[in-house]
Amino acid sequence: MSDIIVLNIWQFSSVYLLLLVVLAVMKKCNVNQTKLFIVASVRMTAQLVLAGLILTYIFENPHPLFIIAYLMMMSGFAIYIVLSRNRKLNSRFKGVVAVSLGGTGLTIIIFLISIVVGVDFFNPQYTIPISGMIMGNAMTGVSLGLKTFTEKIQSQGDRIDSLIHLGVRPQKILTPFVNESLETALLPTINSMLGMGIISLPGMMTGQILSGTLPSTAILYQIAIIIAITTVTCLAVFCSLFFGCRTLFNERSQIVL
Amino acid sequence: MLKLLSGVASYDAGSVQYRGQEVTAYDSIALRREVLLCGQTVYLFDGSIRDNFRKYYAYRDLPAPEDAVIRDILTLCVANFPLDAMCASMSGGERQRIYTAIYLSFMPRVLLLDEPTSALDAKTALAFFESITGFCRKKKITLIVVSHDKILTERFADAVIVLGSGRE
Repeated sequence: MSDIIVLNIWQFSSVYLLLLVVLAVMKKCNVNQTKLFIVASVRMTAQLVLAGLILTYIFENPHPLFIIAYLMMMSGFAIYIVLSRNRKLNSRFKGVVAVSLGGTGLTIIIFLISIVVGVDFFNPQYTIPISGMIMGNAMTGVSLGLKTFTEKIQSQGDRIDSLIHLGVRPQKILTPFVNESLETALLPTINSMLGMGIISLPGMMTGQILSGTLPSTAILYQIAIIIAITTVTCLAVFCSLFFGCRTLFNERSQIVL
Repeated sequence: MLKLLSGVASYDAGSVQYRGQEVTAYDSIALRREVLLCGQTVYLFDGSIRDNFRKYYAYRDLPAPEDAVIRDILTLCVANFPLDAMCASMSGGERQRIYTAIYLSFMPRVLLLDEPTSALDAKTALAFFESITGFCRKKKITLIVVSHDKILTERFADAVIVLGSGRE
């Protein structure tokens, strides 16, 4: 395989011309998100440049403490973003979500790095990019699962009241909502698995091929990461909702939303 | 008040007793099943009348009643509709009677009804109360009804308690 072509600043800058195309279409169609789009583009650039600088430093000076700090920061941000999108949750529910997301994410990362790939967990070349993919997808899944769950709870108030009056245990009443929300959270990942390799070459595999890895090796990594992503999404959403919904009723089996 | 009695809601002060004991002394789920509250807001699942009986019974971990039993209880609640009739296409009054029938079919010791005839016309409301009070007397089910209908309460109630700004 040939070495990757390093982009010079002018080559790289030319890609921003495409953003102007998006802006032009947004303006033409009166899409009222121009400001958000510009902020998102600037933030994306700044965050990635910063991440690139930090990663370069860590790669040149590998140390377990850097990996631990990076993982903590990543988990912390993932938890913060999920919770900031679901502000109405009670504080115990938020705690359950934080533990579920952090716990399942870290467990799957350790399994994937140490057992599947079989390298030192504190090797930044593997742990940092793989952790990012795992935590990012777990975050999206939990966010979607929580959104679906809270919408269902709000729209099905009469059903919940009726069943509570009837003497049904709250856990039994809420379980169907947990199941339906888990299904909603898993569907995007499952759908992406269906089209993978035919409709699109996934990001990690594309990156590896671009950097000179044999496609046969890249495919194995990609399959491993997709299975890990599906598992972490499933576990993180399930734990968040299954244990979180127990915070929605008290010891008298009364619903306390 | 009905919610306090069935243990669905808690109270900060005062005392609510059932059979000589504070309601909080009972297991909350067992109390709700014994002192069953059929609320004013009707909720029926999508599907037929039979489906609704099945679903409510499944939530209580009980086998669904036989069709004949469902028909009897529907007749009792002046709701003689085919068991395959879809609940979504029914009127508010019809849904209310089916909802009450489902709750009554669990045969609680005490049945709390909150405005059970609010969506019924006067004639149907009368027939409903005639039937349901007779049945509850026969089965020794205590019926506590919240109602704003003076004619019905005077005719069917053994005792009337006027709450709030009632002038009697």
